[in-house]
Amino acid sequence: MPGIINRNITIEKTDMGFTGMFDAMASPCEILIETHDYALAKKLVQIAADEAWRIEQKFSRYRNDNILYHIHHACGEPVEVDDELTPLLNFAEQCYQLTDGMFDITSGILRRAWKFDCSDNIPTHRTIDELRSLIGWEKVSWQPPFISLPVGMELDLGGIGKEYAVDRAALLISQVSDIAILINFGGDLYATKPPKSRESWQVGIESIDGWNKTGVIKIKSGGIATSGDARRYLERDGIRYSHVLNPKTGWPVEEGPKSVTVAAPRCIDAGFLSTTAMLNGKEAKSFLEVQEVQYWLQI
Amino acid sequence: MKHKKITMALTTAACSLFNATPDVQADESADLGEWDINAAVLYYTESERVSAFEPVISAKKQIDSDESISLKLTLDSLTGPSANGAVPSINPQTFTKPSGNSSYTAPANEAPLDDTFKDTRVAFSASWEQALSRMTRMTLGGNLSKEYDYLSLGTSVMFAHDINQRNTTLNAGVSFAHDTIEPEGDIPTPFGIMQPTGTTQPRLTGTDDKTLIDVLLGVIQVVDKDSLFQVNYSYSQADGYLTDPFKVISIVDGATGLPIIEDATTNLSQVVFENRPDSRTKHSLYTQYKRNIIGDVMDVSYRYMFDDWEITSHTLDFRYRLKTSETTFWQPHLRYYQQSEAEFFRPYFVSGQQPGVGADNVYATSDYRLGEMTTYTIGLEYGEKYHDHGWSIAAEYYLQSVTEPSVKVGQLAQQELFPDVDAFMLRFNYDF
Repeated sequence: MPGIINRNITIEKTDMGFTGMFDAMASPCEILIETHDYALAKKLVQIAADEAWRIEQKFSRYRNDNILYHIHHACGEPVEVDDELTPLLNFAEQCYQLTDGMFDITSGILRRAWKFDCSDNIPTHRTIDELRSLIGWEKVSWQPPFISLPVGMELDLGGIGKEYAVDRAALLISQVSDIAILINFGGDLYATKPPKSRESWQVGIESIDGWNKTGVIKIKSGGIATSGDARRYLERDGIRYSHVLNPKTGWPVEEGPKSVTVAAPRCIDAGFLSTTAMLNGKEAKSFLEVQEVQYWLQI
Repeated sequence: MKHKKITMALTTAACSLFNATPDVQADESADLGEWDINAAVLYYTESERVSAFEPVISAKKQIDSDESISLKLTLDSLTGPSANGAVPSINPQTFTKPSGNSSYTAPANEAPLDDTFKDTRVAFSASWEQALSRMTRMTLGGNLSKEYDYLSLGTSVMFAHDINQRNTTLNAGVSFAHDTIEPEGDIPTPFGIMQPTGTTQPRLTGTDDKTLIDVLLGVIQVVDKDSLFQVNYSYSQADGYLTDPFKVISIVDGATGLPIIEDATTNLSQVVFENRPDSRTKHSLYTQYKRNIIGDVMDVSYRYMFDDWEITSHTLDFRYRLKTSETTFWQPHLRYYQQSEAEFFRPYFVSGQQPGVGADNVYATSDYRLGEMTTYTIGLEYGEKYHDHGWSIAAEYYLQSVTEPSVKVGQLAQQELFPDVDAFMLRFNYDF
């Protein structure tokens, strides 16, 4: 969100070592560190927080001083992007192709019509149709490192940004220390390796009904991401509209699971798979079966 | 609905994402792709002696998180008189300049100073730091320094290896340098007697050289979250021409202590050119303790050095960086240095006791820098540091006191052979 970013870090002692906490990307973030060396823990938390804040600033669509702002305000002219955004856009393009257009980073403008505030404000078909003309990665000219967007279109890296930040933080931390760490940026996770003191990390999955931790996922290492409407939905006439929007129709996916959690080698893979599973609606389970990944569904 | 399996393609896509992504360091001071530039100007002046003006520009570029290059360019301009090594006299004394073409006169009762000293030095150094593995870094360096009569070329390699969850860093390095000197008026003959202007001076060759090898072994240990301790041992071996071609030693009368007159018409005192051993081996042990005290930084270090010229020295250094606000600091600095004299230190020779001309196996110097001396430095620095730039200004006062010989013959007893020298230094630093 725009405004002042809270850049406080809190570090608490735990049985296992330390837990560092801070806010980034509109989410509570946690770093669980298996060490009793406070200085080291502090250093690692700082690395993760700095990276999260850096990515947040760089790819936020709420700022007027970053690359996304330049791309959005280039009036159709090509904009050269840097060495970090280039592979991210390549990745997004591959995701678009792998899902036959279901995973589309140009679909973020649908949020103008859909405000998932648990109310009954359902947009009109006309509004959605107008917005649909501004969606579609195929309308973007992407010739790395140059991108040009038709006027009115927008890129939204929100669907991969937090997961990317988790993987980046893990990468930077691994360059400094090889101790066991669990990174949790608002439910998107990555574990560097299992803790010495126990067999695996245990992560609670939030129930759709509130904050009760109903499920526990055990993770040794790798990434975990969850997509779902646990806290973000609209409801009218008994129909619950999930916050996962189909970019092709502009409407929420129907009959999908309430949430999907996927484990994958990296958090960004897990995030993409969980989102794609949600986009597959009632086919979510069969989609995940084919992918041969570990997953957890809440129907 | 038939689903495609996309995990393989996805993993490949994600892999290229992280391999191709530059490793952006969390460290704010290392913005990738940009040069960190620092400019500094040093002004140094010794009372009535040498003054120096030294602009320095240095730049560092982080290529990626495990590779960086640094460049540094220094210009040094030195002017003013410096002690030539001869003793003072109750009479004015004349000396021939190194060129042999002109002379200078030292007033009565003052330590003779060669006022022709003027030199400009240009030095350039570059280093390249590269991670060899996750825990090991290597730094390769090269440097070049050129003065009017001097050329120094050097190269070095340094390794740093982190262990113990990066709480301990082991350092090892070696450097090699080759210096060539081509002094004005050529290399003097050891103990050759200075001759009047316009006559032949006792000279050997036009150029000479020396090689220097330094080996460093060190450990940096993080003691706790606020302090670290460092210990370095270094070994330094110099071989070749280590003599100062411009320094002379007076020959005095054993009874009166007056310099022997070499040439009465020009009032030239009898002085011989010094000669030092052609090798020197130094060992030094350096320890440093740094501590963060609620935002302030205390930095204490001690160095012990000894060499085979029988010089031992102790250096104590103390700095305290007082943080006065988020962006400003004051830093007082105190330094104490004490050394013993070289085994072959001879403030003067009594006539008849000087080594024979050309005796290259006998060593003697009256250069105060190899005498027993104590120096004191007191300084204060003020700086402002912001996210992307900063500046600081430092002023230092330096006092050097060389011990007078315990026995001084004749008139020398009334003379100060090594008057105290004080110096003032001002340095301005700007980080872009």
